[in-house]
Amino acid sequence: MQLFLEYLFDGISNGAIYAALALALVMVFRGTGTINFAQGEMALFTTYIAWGLTTKNVPIILCLLIATGAGFVLGAVTERVLIRPIERKSLLATLIVLLGLFLALNSLDGILWGNENYTMASLFPNKVSSFVSVGGARLYWANLGLWILVAVIVGAMFQLFNHTRLGLHMRATASNRESASLSGIAVGRILMLGWGFSAAIGAVAGILLTPLSPDSLGVGEMFPILIQASAAALLGGLDSPGGAVIAGLMLGVVEALLSGYVSVIGGQLEEAIAFVAIVLVLLVRPQGLFGSKEVERV
Amino acid sequence: MTAPDTRALPTLPLQINQGSPTHRFLQVFGLVLLVALAFLGSRANSFQVGLLTQALIYATAIAGLNLVTGYTGMLSIGHSAFFGIGAYTTGILVTERNWNPLTTFIVAFALCFIVGLIVGLPALRIRGINLALVTLALAVAFPELIDRFPGLTGGTLGLNVTLTSLLPPHWTGIGIQNRFEYYYWISVVVLALVLVLCANLTRGRTGLAMRATRDRETAATAVGINLAWIKVFTFGVSAAVTGVAGSVFAMYLGSLSADSSFTLTLSITLITGLVIGGVATVIGPIIGGLAVIYIPHWTEGIHQGETEGLFFGVILIILMFVMPDGLMGLTKRLTRHVVRIKPRAPTGPRASDEELLVAHDQIAHPDPEGKGDTTLALS
Repeated sequence: MQLFLEYLFDGISNGAIYAALALALVMVFRGTGTINFAQGEMALFTTYIAWGLTTKNVPIILCLLIATGAGFVLGAVTERVLIRPIERKSLLATLIVLLGLFLALNSLDGILWGNENYTMASLFPNKVSSFVSVGGARLYWANLGLWILVAVIVGAMFQLFNHTRLGLHMRATASNRESASLSGIAVGRILMLGWGFSAAIGAVAGILLTPLSPDSLGVGEMFPILIQASAAALLGGLDSPGGAVIAGLMLGVVEALLSGYVSVIGGQLEEAIAFVAIVLVLLVRPQGLFGSKEVERV
Repeated sequence: MTAPDTRALPTLPLQINQGSPTHRFLQVFGLVLLVALAFLGSRANSFQVGLLTQALIYATAIAGLNLVTGYTGMLSIGHSAFFGIGAYTTGILVTERNWNPLTTFIVAFALCFIVGLIVGLPALRIRGINLALVTLALAVAFPELIDRFPGLTGGTLGLNVTLTSLLPPHWTGIGIQNRFEYYYWISVVVLALVLVLCANLTRGRTGLAMRATRDRETAATAVGINLAWIKVFTFGVSAAVTGVAGSVFAMYLGSLSADSSFTLTLSITLITGLVIGGVATVIGPIIGGLAVIYIPHWTEGIHQGETEGLFFGVILIILMFVMPDGLMGLTKRLTRHVVRIKPRAPTGPRASDEELLVAHDQIAHPDPEGKGDTTLALS
C-alpha cells in the first residue's frame, strides 16, 4: 500500500505536468490547428532563464514570474512573427517552421548554458525531511505544491475560457475563425494571446517539474515530456482542454504504476509506451476520449 | 544589296519539345555530366571521398523522405528511425549471421517497407498532423528501443560491425586501405537506383495521385484516387528507401550507436536537406544531402555542434519564408526564362468532332423529353 501510494504520488506529479503541457498544446491547436512542436523547448528555454536567475540569488518566486512573463512574450512573438505569415501557405510549412524553431531553441540552450545538467531550486520546501506521511508513504511538499499550482492554473484557464469576455472570444476564434472575425473579434490578437498563454503555462510547468529530481535541467529534458504531453492531448481529444487535463493525469499515473510494477518496462520504455498510445488512439478513436469528431464539408 | 536577315535571334525562352532530339541530347548530356562528376568525386582524397559518401547517403535518405513529405505532403519526423532500422538490420545480419552486406540491403528495404506501412496506418485517420505526431514519437522512441535490447543491438555501447565482412571484394580491385572508395561507389549506385525508382514512381499515375492527395484530398477522392492506399503505400516506399540509405550508412561507418546517430536531430537534418534542395523534385535530395554535410563542415571553425543545430533551425525557418521551393525550385524558376520544355501532346484515341457533338448534346440536354429542369453548360 505504501509503495502503491508512492508510485501514485509520483504518477500524479508527472501527470500534472503532462496535463499542463497538454492543455498548452490544446490551446494552440484550437487556435491555429497545429501541434506546437516547440512547446517543450519554449518551456525549457524559460526554465533555463529561471535557473540562471536563481544562480544570481534572485528569489525563486520572482524567477517564476519573470520566466512566465518571458514565456508569454516568446509564445506571442512566435505566433505573430513566425506562424501567422506562414500558416496561410500550408500545414506542412507551419509544421516545418515549428520544427526549425524546436531545433534552434534547443541548440541555443546548449550554446547559452552548456551541456551540463543542473539542479534547480524548488518553489517549495525541498529537503529530504519535508514531507507528510500519508498511509506510510511520503508525500513531499514539492509534489503537493506542484499539484496545487497546476490545479490553480488549470482552474484559472477554465475560468478564463468559460466566464470572461476574452475566453468567449477565444472560443469563438477556435470554433470558426472567419465568423469570429466578422463579428468584430480581433482574431489576430486572440491567437497571439492564446500562444502567449500556452507558452506561459509551459514555463510554469518547466519550473515545477525540474526541481523534482536532481540534475534534471539539461538540453534533453523536454523531449520526452513533449511526447507524453502530445500523447495526452491526443488521448483527451486535441480540441478538448478538459480532456487534455484528464488524459495527462491518467497517462502519468498509468506510466508510474506500470514502470513501478512491471519490471520489463522498468522506467526505460516510457517513450515507447507513449508511441504505442498515440498509434492506438489514432487507430481506434482518432477524436480522442473527449474531442469532437472532425467533419469536413465538401 | 542583300535581303534583310529574317533569321532574327531566337526569342527567349527557347522552346524545346519534349522527346525531340534536342531534349534527348540535353538529357543524355546531363546524365554524362553526372557520371563524370561521380568519377571526379572518387578521385578526391580519402577524406573528401568520405564526406561525399556521407552526403550521398543522406541524399538517398532525403529522396525517401521526399516521397512522403515532398510529393504527398505528409510531414514525417520519424525517418531517423527508418534510417536506423536499415542500419541495424545490416549491422546485425552482417555481425551475427555473417551475411554479405549487399544482400542485407534487400532485407532492410523489405523490413522498412513493412514498418512504414504499419506506421503510416494512423495517418489515414483525419489528416497531416497525425502522421507528424506518430513519427515524432517514433523518432524519440527508437533509440530507447535499441538501448532496451542490448543482446541484439549492443545497447548503449553500440554495435561494431565485423570489419572483414565490410571489405571490398577482390573483383573490385580496391585494396583495404582504399575501402572508402568502395563505399563511395556503393552509395553512388544506391542513390542512382533510388533516384530512378523515385523518378519513375513520381512521374507516372502514382505520382499524380500522390500530388493530388497533397494538394486537395477531397478532389483526389472525387477523381477516384484511393487515398488510404496512396498514403500508406507512399509511406512504406519512403521508409524503405530511407532504410536502404541506413544500410549503406552502417557499411560506411562500421559502428552504430542509436543515441548519437539515429535521433530526432537526424530527422530534422533530413527535413532541412529536403527543404534546402527543394521538395518534390528528383535532383533536390542530392543538393540537400550535399548541403547538410558540407555546410557544417565548412563552418567547422565556428561551430561546436550546437551552432550547427541553431544554424539549421534558423535556415529551415528562413527558407520556408523566402524560398519554400528550395534551390531546385529557384533554379527552375530562373531557367524557365531561358529554356522551356514543352510537354508532349497527349497520345491515344481521340474523339471525332461528330462524337464530341453527340456527347455535348447528351450532357447539355440529359432529358430529351424536356421535363427536367437540369441543364449542364458545357463550354
